Amino acid sequence: MANELKIDPRLVEEFLNFSKNIAEAPKLVAAPDEMILETTPHDVAYTEDKVRLLHYKPLTSTQNKVPLVIAYAIINRHHILDIHPKKSWVRNLLEQGIDVYMIDWGSPTNIDKYLDMDDYVNVYLDHCVDFVKHESGTDNVSLQGYCTGGTLAAIYAALHPKNVKNLVATAPVIDGWKDTTVVSNIAKHVDVEKMVKTIGNMPPEFMYYCFSILKPFEQGLEKYINFFRNIHDENYVDNFLRVEKWLGDTPPIPGELFKQWIKDIYQDNLLIQNKMYVGGKQISLKNITMPLFTQVAVGDHLVSPECSMPLHYAVGSEDKTLRMYPTGHVGMIASSLSQKKVLTELGQWLKERS
Amino acid sequence: MKTEFNDPLSYYKHLTLFWTDLMYLMANKPASLLSAGPMRNFATNIKKISSEIIEANDDLVEFNTKFLDYYKQLSDTWSEAQKKVNEKIPAIPNDAERLETYKRIWIDIFETDFTELFDSGKFGENYGKLVASELELTKHWNNIMSVLLQSANLPNRDEIDDVYKQLHDLRRKVAKIESDLQQKGEQNGK
Repeated sequence: MANELKIDPRLVEEFLNFSKNIAEAPKLVAAPDEMILETTPHDVAYTEDKVRLLHYKPLTSTQNKVPLVIAYAIINRHHILDIHPKKSWVRNLLEQGIDVYMIDWGSPTNIDKYLDMDDYVNVYLDHCVDFVKHESGTDNVSLQGYCTGGTLAAIYAALHPKNVKNLVATAPVIDGWKDTTVVSNIAKHVDVEKMVKTIGNMPPEFMYYCFSILKPFEQGLEKYINFFRNIHDENYVDNFLRVEKWLGDTPPIPGELFKQWIKDIYQDNLLIQNKMYVGGKQISLKNITMPLFTQVAVGDHLVSPECSMPLHYAVGSEDKTLRMYPTGHVGMIASSLSQKKVLTELGQWLKERS
Repeated sequence: MKTEFNDPLSYYKHLTLFWTDLMYLMANKPASLLSAGPMRNFATNIKKISSEIIEANDDLVEFNTKFLDYYKQLSDTWSEAQKKVNEKIPAIPNDAERLETYKRIWIDIFETDFTELFDSGKFGENYGKLVASELELTKHWNNIMSVLLQSANLPNRDEIDDVYKQLHDLRRKVAKIESDLQQKGEQNGK
């Protein structure tokens, strides 16, 4: 027949397999809610309001003298740094003999709307560092900050340089005007004053919107197709769901903190110009004189390398290292590359200075 | 006094306020007998609700304009991207990989075009205005809720915010006192 429709039998087979995978998925994988993301054993060493300081149990017989405090970002939760036993940032550092603490900022509620940068830097972070110094019997700590946590860590190091022996900034948000991501485009145009006055805390939905316009077709469509295609691959599925669960767990950001963040970093770009004030004190990045290790990802579409790298050039440190990795924002901290390359270099760098 | 109106919206605004004012005045004296309780409060505050609804209508017009602009940006980008995909279709080999190749081309072109849109100043500007107009609507809703809560003798948002602010200040003071005490203790210990 002239009008006969010709369909490749392999296409039909693939379609049928794909449909079968969708039907079988609930039997094969756990629901994200059933998954526990904290994989490496730890104690909650210190708490203040909703903030928790986690202390990870050592995995080596001897450890570095100077402990490492990780200031996680204010966006999403800390779980991404310990997302999977084989891709855990924390576990890798423990295996290299580093004593690791991590700050979990918790999930702020309406009562926390007046918490600002001063509270996060000069109260919570400072108290966590004091606690670690006291517990470990050291005069100072190594401080690492990831993403927005990198900014908090840099501000802290500028204000309290004596407490920080080494500073590690992983994809920090530093020069807002140089950031070329869609997140910064939104941040530069939003009326943050009105948002905070009207709503209070930054609602998670606003963050979800920002995530949804980052590679919307790859992240919103293709990755789910690949998930169902690979539904029988236990490792793939486990890793996928862990990251998905982490992505979906976005707590609100305290209103005052969010306002200062957007205005001072993205809109007025005060930090890199040494014009930003926290707790009434002017922040000069030149006060950062301790050894600095800056890590940036070439393919970072949340914090572009141009936004992070200026920290390396703005500080007063003589001992400073800048590393660029061929990966993305999450790939830099939770991937095979981070295990083999990023963490090996970081561990070595820390050991030489601890 | 005779009033004149240039547009239907102003007339509607006037009409609503006229009747709510008049009804309030007419009902005021008998209602004042019941000088306490939610209904009395509600009667006093009903005018505020009317005003908020009228102003919300104005802001809804603004919101709809920005919302249409927003969707126009998305649909224009979609059309342009689809045109580019259509131009590539004839070059796709007619084999078993055809569907996969088509998907790859489609995703690549759409990703590039939409990222370009989201990165652009015109998108950021309109999105900022869209969010601002949505927040204006939220503000009216908050104000209406405040009136209702006040009528029921319950704390409204501003009053709760005052409590949050005071709690925040107290938390800071307590943290500072604790820190000072700890430092003094350590100094004495030495």
